[in-house]
Amino acid sequence: MRNLLNFILRYSTWFVFTFYVVISIFLLVIGSRYRQSVYLTSANAVSGTIYDGTSQVTGYFNLRSINESLQASNAQLQNEVLNLKNEIAQYKMLLSDTAETFQSADRYGYVAASVINNNTRHPKNFFTINRGTLDGIEQGMGVMDQSGIVGIVNVAGPHMARVISLLNETQHFSVKIKDTSFVGSLNWKGGDATIAYMEEVPRHVKYEIGDTVVTSGYSTTFPEGIPVGIIMNRVRSQDDSFFTFKVHLLPDFRSLSTVRVIKDIYKEEIDSLATFDALINE
Amino acid sequence: MSKSILQYILITAVLVLAQVLICNHIMIFNVATLFIFIYVIINLPLSLPTGWLLTWAFLSGLIVDIFSDTLGVNALACTVLAMVKKPVFYAYIPKDDRTKDILPSLSSLGFSVYAKYLLSMTAIYCLLVFSIEYMSIADIKEIAIMSAGSALFTFLILIGLDSLLDRKN
Repeated sequence: MRNLLNFILRYSTWFVFTFYVVISIFLLVIGSRYRQSVYLTSANAVSGTIYDGTSQVTGYFNLRSINESLQASNAQLQNEVLNLKNEIAQYKMLLSDTAETFQSADRYGYVAASVINNNTRHPKNFFTINRGTLDGIEQGMGVMDQSGIVGIVNVAGPHMARVISLLNETQHFSVKIKDTSFVGSLNWKGGDATIAYMEEVPRHVKYEIGDTVVTSGYSTTFPEGIPVGIIMNRVRSQDDSFFTFKVHLLPDFRSLSTVRVIKDIYKEEIDSLATFDALINE
Repeated sequence: MSKSILQYILITAVLVLAQVLICNHIMIFNVATLFIFIYVIINLPLSLPTGWLLTWAFLSGLIVDIFSDTLGVNALACTVLAMVKKPVFYAYIPKDDRTKDILPSLSSLGFSVYAKYLLSMTAIYCLLVFSIEYMSIADIKEIAIMSAGSALFTFLILIGLDSLLDRKN
């Protein structure tokens, strides 16, 4: 017994070292998983409050560029509204007796939020927003800013949520080339915060440099047609049966400030159908 | 003059806050970032038992990790840094002086020895952090460039910080 105690005392430093190394490796492993405790993320109450406080001050720094971007986005939206109004008026004239069918159900709702902490220098980046479960935020919801998609809610606390950024090597987003049905998978590969890659695009795709890449709408996370980026050029693909495009991302990830979290009211229904399908296949 | 434990706790708290609120957002030429909070681990007196130093390092790394959403990365790197502190320090100290309680600082070691010790420690830390974060042989070039850039940047800032805190004492 005494020998054992002597042994432990003699090598106590190594025991402490091994203990902390094992905990750190355990944290590294659970940190890379999708689900984890809110207490171990920047969305916990303490860090959330500190980040919220500092963002009250730093939030003013980028106001000029954000304002310009919002004005451009506003002008484009106004234009779209006018065009759509004209289109609807024309359809109403053509189909006057079935005009009621144009009452569209609002499938998506939006919750505005502020980014209170943001990172772009890691291979796996996250950012924190000042809205949580009490505001209706749930894990898996899509997040966009005025220019395009920026991430997916990863962990939601009562008042804050951590969002897995598009600038995260582990994330893939279903996208397509605008006004076509050519779908691919968008993935950021580290380094430049303005460049991502659209992979697994069929070789018979018709494209031009400068074409817009938008969300495909093949998930409940993002509606179809939200801008993502612009095709810069085609790059060498790992698989010869597919094309890979270099995409210039539209959102400015270095100065994210105001974002919208997307709520799909059919999410539960679609998810339950997927679960039902899985049960039948079993 | 040696600082009290309370002073070290205060400096740690300030530097951890500075790390998560300011330094985490600094990136020079896309290669150099700043790890200011490791200053306390590097400068804690050698008389502090290694077990306590390991605990100090692990906790400060863990807090930075939670704030930065890099769970485990800084905690592991800080723990290893604390473990190699003594061997690295003694590598630059003459054998006769090793038994003395020397405080690792600019004023007690002189520029040459302290700079060598500090640069070694920041280089080890940066190499550890980026290796753990990227964890891929394919990114070895990126790991090397970022480690070198960040080690140099952190070294310069910590030299300045040490002379500033030393003058205050």
